Amino acid sequence: MTRPHPVPVVLSLGLAAFLLLPVAALLARGLGADFLPTLLSPVVLDALRVSAVTTGAALALTLALGTPVAYLLARRRFPGRTLLDALLDLPMVLPPVVAGVALLLTFGRTGWLGRPLELAGVSLAFSPAAVVLAQVFTSAPFYIRAAKAGFLAFDPDVEAAARVDGAGPWATFARVTLPLALPFLLEGAVLAWARSLGEFGATLLFAGSLPGRTRTVPLAIYGALESDLAPALVLSAVMVVLAFGVLFALRALAGRRG
Amino acid sequence: MRRLLVLLALTLGTAGAANLTVFAASSLTDAFTEIGRAFDAGTGNRTTFSFAGSQVLRTQLTQGARADVFASANAAQFDPLLEGGLIASGQVFARNRLAVITPRGGTAVRTLADLARPGLKLVIAERGVPVGEATRRAFDLIGASGSYGADFAARALRNVVSEEPNVRQVALKVSLGQADAAVVYVSDVTPTLRRSVRTVALPPRFNPPVSYPVGVLRASPNAEQAQAFVRFVRGPEGQRILRKWGFLPAP
Repeated sequence: MTRPHPVPVVLSLGLAAFLLLPVAALLARGLGADFLPTLLSPVVLDALRVSAVTTGAALALTLALGTPVAYLLARRRFPGRTLLDALLDLPMVLPPVVAGVALLLTFGRTGWLGRPLELAGVSLAFSPAAVVLAQVFTSAPFYIRAAKAGFLAFDPDVEAAARVDGAGPWATFARVTLPLALPFLLEGAVLAWARSLGEFGATLLFAGSLPGRTRTVPLAIYGALESDLAPALVLSAVMVVLAFGVLFALRALAGRRG
Repeated sequence: MRRLLVLLALTLGTAGAANLTVFAASSLTDAFTEIGRAFDAGTGNRTTFSFAGSQVLRTQLTQGARADVFASANAAQFDPLLEGGLIASGQVFARNRLAVITPRGGTAVRTLADLARPGLKLVIAERGVPVGEATRRAFDLIGASGSYGADFAARALRNVVSEEPNVRQVALKVSLGQADAAVVYVSDVTPTLRRSVRTVALPPRFNPPVSYPVGVLRASPNAEQAQAFVRFVRGPEGQRILRKWGFLPAP
């Protein structure tokens, strides 16, 4: 066991301190004496409720629609597959505000689909549904990527064997494919959920910001910074705790996978 | 390389110029951009702006953001900095009025009464944003006048579908056709915006007074140039540009 050279140690300590100090400062202020009363204030509770409901709906949509997409991309060869694969990753690298503009031009009141929807009596603008769309748009690719990796992680012969043994396509999927890909799917779901929870730019532009309706936690933090710092600090501390929980869960899942 | 440095030092030194950072309310975006260009052209300074809701700028300044000048859209976001000693003194340099805007070609809003009609999609600024505070005061004035129903403010606020962080975001929602109406400053109805929106008059008696104070930060390393900028804004050239962009002169 040789002692490590002091230079990398010092540099590592410097970077670690840089990354952790702001978090510590945030937690120290956010988890102060008035944490509980502020946590129970309507501003904070409203934001937490809106975020819980919209990210829950976004995750459900992502799982329901993203799983088949990932499965087809992983298992089927069809013309344009590589192109589709690349295009579906696009929202991941787009700045959120660009996603917001794109959603506006599509689903906004004067957008491509927004106008016919409006005529049909469906108004997405400024609704919680718009928040969910913004979240799905920016987070679904994270799930699809992970799920695709999950479906590629085991030999398709296992499924074939199940079918030979008499299992139907649904039974094969539910009893063999899903359990084998599950750690990957969970990891993707956790990542996608975390991304939804943090979504800010697209939401603000596309869904607006109304307390109790479309104002999610990040929007409430931004809003609170303008008048009363306390709710912003408490919500920020909550986000730090949640984010850490997500990372910890991912480590646990990775452990299970490995 | 050394010659370049000497040259640089000379040009910077002889002009007595500086890199100025001005924090200014969102509603000042167009006017101050033009004022900055005129000021720099005359003095050789390099002025850069950070435009945001005045309340955001105030938070940033109290949290140690470095700036030379702060121009706020109301006293509520300016005076705490005076009292806190971050700014030595402030002077009002412009006033503003509110305007109701609605998408061009839209028929949902013809008179003020329509703002309180159920189902209308109205966008205003948050309460902490100067224009948001002024909007709520205007609604109260309209309600108190009696001609639109005493509960006008409550009914109009029920129509609010989004509370935006600054006035330019409020205007954007209408220019994109997302909302039926929004309340902004007259000065926000810029030539660009005028192409996509129509203005509904808000009579003077419904307009709460809106004054813009400006001051130099005590911590400014370029206090002299910053003072010159404030003088320029309050001087004839600055006032001409402000008037051009729809502001009223300081009292």
